[in-house]
Amino acid sequence: MLIDSKNVEESTTALVTEEAPDNKTRRYDRQLRLWAASGQSALESSRLLVISGTATSTSILKNLVLPGIGHFTILDPRKVTPEDSGNNFFLEGPSSIGKSRAEEAVRLLCELNDGVEGKADLRSLEEVLDNDKEWLTEFSLVIAHNLEGGLLDRLSKLLWEDESHPTLAIVRSSGFLAEFYIQYHEHTGESFICVIESHPETAQSLQIDKPFPALLRDSLALDFENMDVTDHGHIPYVYILVRVLEDWKKAHNGSPPSTYAERQEFKKLILAMRKKSDEENFEEAESQAYRAWTATTVPSEIRDLFSDPKDMKADTNKYIGLQKLYKKRAEEEKQIFKSYLTAPVDDATVDAFVKNAHALKLLRGKRWGSLDEDPKALAELVETSSKQLSTHLALSALTSLATKQQPNAPLTPTVEALTAEAQALLPAGVELPAEFGDAVGEVARAPNADLPNTAALLGGIVAQEVIKMITKQYIPIHGSCIIDLIETWTGILPV
Amino acid sequence: MASQSSNNHSASADWPGRYHHIDHILDTPGPRTDPEFAAGDQVKNFLRKESKILVIGAGGLGCEILANLALTGFKDIHVIDMDTIDISNLNRQFLFRPKDVGQPKATVAAEFIMRRVPGVKVTPYFGKIQDKDDDYYMQFNLVICGLDSVEARRWMNATLVNLVDPDVPDSLKPMIDGGTEGFKGQARVILPTITSCYECSLDMLNKPTAFPICTIANTPRLPEHCVEWASVLEWPRVHGDRKMDTDDPEHIGWLYKVAAARAADFKIEGVTWSLTQGVVKNIIPAIASTNAIIAAACCNEAFKISTSSAAFLNNYFMLIGTDGVYSYTFEHEKRDDCPVCGGQAVDITLNPETTVEQLIETLTERQDLQIKKPSLSTPTKQIYLQAPPQLEKSTRPNLEKKVSELVPAGGEVTVTSSTLPMSLSLRISYST
Repeated sequence: MLIDSKNVEESTTALVTEEAPDNKTRRYDRQLRLWAASGQSALESSRLLVISGTATSTSILKNLVLPGIGHFTILDPRKVTPEDSGNNFFLEGPSSIGKSRAEEAVRLLCELNDGVEGKADLRSLEEVLDNDKEWLTEFSLVIAHNLEGGLLDRLSKLLWEDESHPTLAIVRSSGFLAEFYIQYHEHTGESFICVIESHPETAQSLQIDKPFPALLRDSLALDFENMDVTDHGHIPYVYILVRVLEDWKKAHNGSPPSTYAERQEFKKLILAMRKKSDEENFEEAESQAYRAWTATTVPSEIRDLFSDPKDMKADTNKYIGLQKLYKKRAEEEKQIFKSYLTAPVDDATVDAFVKNAHALKLLRGKRWGSLDEDPKALAELVETSSKQLSTHLALSALTSLATKQQPNAPLTPTVEALTAEAQALLPAGVELPAEFGDAVGEVARAPNADLPNTAALLGGIVAQEVIKMITKQYIPIHGSCIIDLIETWTGILPV
Repeated sequence: MASQSSNNHSASADWPGRYHHIDHILDTPGPRTDPEFAAGDQVKNFLRKESKILVIGAGGLGCEILANLALTGFKDIHVIDMDTIDISNLNRQFLFRPKDVGQPKATVAAEFIMRRVPGVKVTPYFGKIQDKDDDYYMQFNLVICGLDSVEARRWMNATLVNLVDPDVPDSLKPMIDGGTEGFKGQARVILPTITSCYECSLDMLNKPTAFPICTIANTPRLPEHCVEWASVLEWPRVHGDRKMDTDDPEHIGWLYKVAAARAADFKIEGVTWSLTQGVVKNIIPAIASTNAIIAAACCNEAFKISTSSAAFLNNYFMLIGTDGVYSYTFEHEKRDDCPVCGGQAVDITLNPETTVEQLIETLTERQDLQIKKPSLSTPTKQIYLQAPPQLEKSTRPNLEKKVSELVPAGGEVTVTSSTLPMSLSLRISYST
């Protein structure tokens, strides 16, 4: 269970570590190894709004206060009920009953990290939407749990209006079932999120198939035949592959090995070059031979230019020399990249961009609610994602039933009523998926139940996605995440 | 809810509405609930008054597990942890505060839970799981493990498998095991002797990275090679028998300086304080959110198993959070030749020329067995013993002998090792 050595190196070089680390660095050590100082500073500049102080809301906040977000506000006009104080770890049992839920939760959450600022706001969301909409847009991200349908609709539309408005995380749960969705910002007509450091786990292609001039030159300059045995056993496999491929192409009209038989022959050629049977570098070359016939495409080309080769059997000088070769090439490419820029961009941003160019991700989001307004899309999902869709429909049915009744009236929907609401979302003639019965039965069993374990799991999974959004590292969820804690699975409903 | 008992930790601490949310589940069955489910008072009484649960580990997962169990209605919880609180725990182990640094995790966690969730009794034990005997483990209905050590999990798993007595139904203790690493984690349910056990799945673990000593000594290429050089070769050379303490900042500082100097000599970039510490302590990144997900999954299984209120996980849930939210729920299959729960010898076929030393090497390389420094014997003789020194010396000549000279075809070899939670039986056959 070791961490990827490259990740450690990358994330730790970003830390100031000439001296023994200070207390803050020591406190955050285990997370800095994942998102480095750049991610940490993004977290510390973030301002989050959480709507309502339910068990799920405080569970999410706990996992954001601990790693050190800058600020959070809980918006909640309610007083703590006996029911609240029984299932929320950030209330103090009976002694919290009757006090402001937001104030109690903020007080207890702030104990987790004195570097985080927390505030309670006792207004209702309705009041804010009516009189102080601007206030909502001052946050970097808004999280809403089990919001009433009408208010959720107003909130999600408001935050979708302008690209500068905060991202909205929508969380719904009912007993063992849950769903969450992240509404990304709007941008020039379409919404998008750009992840700068996605930490990909796929291998680099190293441009073996199209070696840049210096790499080809150095590889051809090596005298394999007359080299002494120790040096021969330490030629980095990159040089071996470039060389064997170059020879191969000369003999095959410039084409790389393409058939299975040719590829096997290519591998044999590599092994035939060994001077001793245990030369690991040639074994590495054989195992990496696919690189010779895997065409370097544009994204991986960028990847190769801006990241160093991973470790391979070699002596120090040859490896460091190879590393320098790739670094020099990267520097040259960066200058070319800069010459294309038409607007001034500071050097640090250019560096971060090119360093992670191989891992840039562009995700386009959609407005919350667009799925339920699209019966055709729902009908397709009945065929392709019936299990996930069943849970989504059952939760949507609950939201719409609740909207139809008096505010604060007890919610005790029947399976029949929920089924009718869900059916109404589908086009005429399309039947509900077979799994719908399992989902709707659970929603009818515990429509309002904010179970401690469901809340804790949502707390982790939603916080994880929020961290990815704020740090712009790793790849956030795309679509709606469905959670079933009976059979214990999660799934994505494409939106 | 009149006070029926003078005990502080009894149900008398319950207030009306306390379990409103959970009672929705316990009062009514759902579509996927077992017909045996005894909805209402019976299941509530069992959960809140009779059930006794053991939590192994009060760290990243343990803190979360304790809080979830307490809120769900488990009232008699025991927790074992041998560690004390370090400042680097505070980014996720949310029951601890800066003033608690240096204190035992189990004790501080137990006190916190009892303060925050009235009426719940948490009994801490500051020590090792190996300190406790079978009678101790027999008292629990269920065990949840939130550990960071493979060795401790293997021991706990083997202990619970051995506890099973087919004539005593209560001897079967479900074990729920969680683990995390960065944005990834897994939770699983083990019914000892019935479903796949921890030992059955050893080959799913990643092989730890080991740097060849010749690379470290002669051809370093990575900053890690320089750190290994400082800790493995230079420390003993300079400090002799003085033990390296990876928690001592002065020791890490020394290693860092030595590694950085070597890196400079070889023009290697990237040696930092943090990297040095990460390599020598084998630090695994850890965050609150992943621990919350996995601990919640574990506690949810404990709740469902204890109440029969819904079907439970069969039997493995794996989560990868680096690229979206990806998870995979599957049934890990029991291995018939599992050394712990299979009850059969492991078959191994050897070339008749294989020496004892080569057999030992083969065994230590097997990912599904994970053995270090094994001792071998047959029912009639000792083949090779690692300790005590006099027996090691007297059996050492056997290392060069062929196994076929010492063990007949079809014969059994017993393997013991400090990393094995049990003795392993090998049935030897020879290729012709």
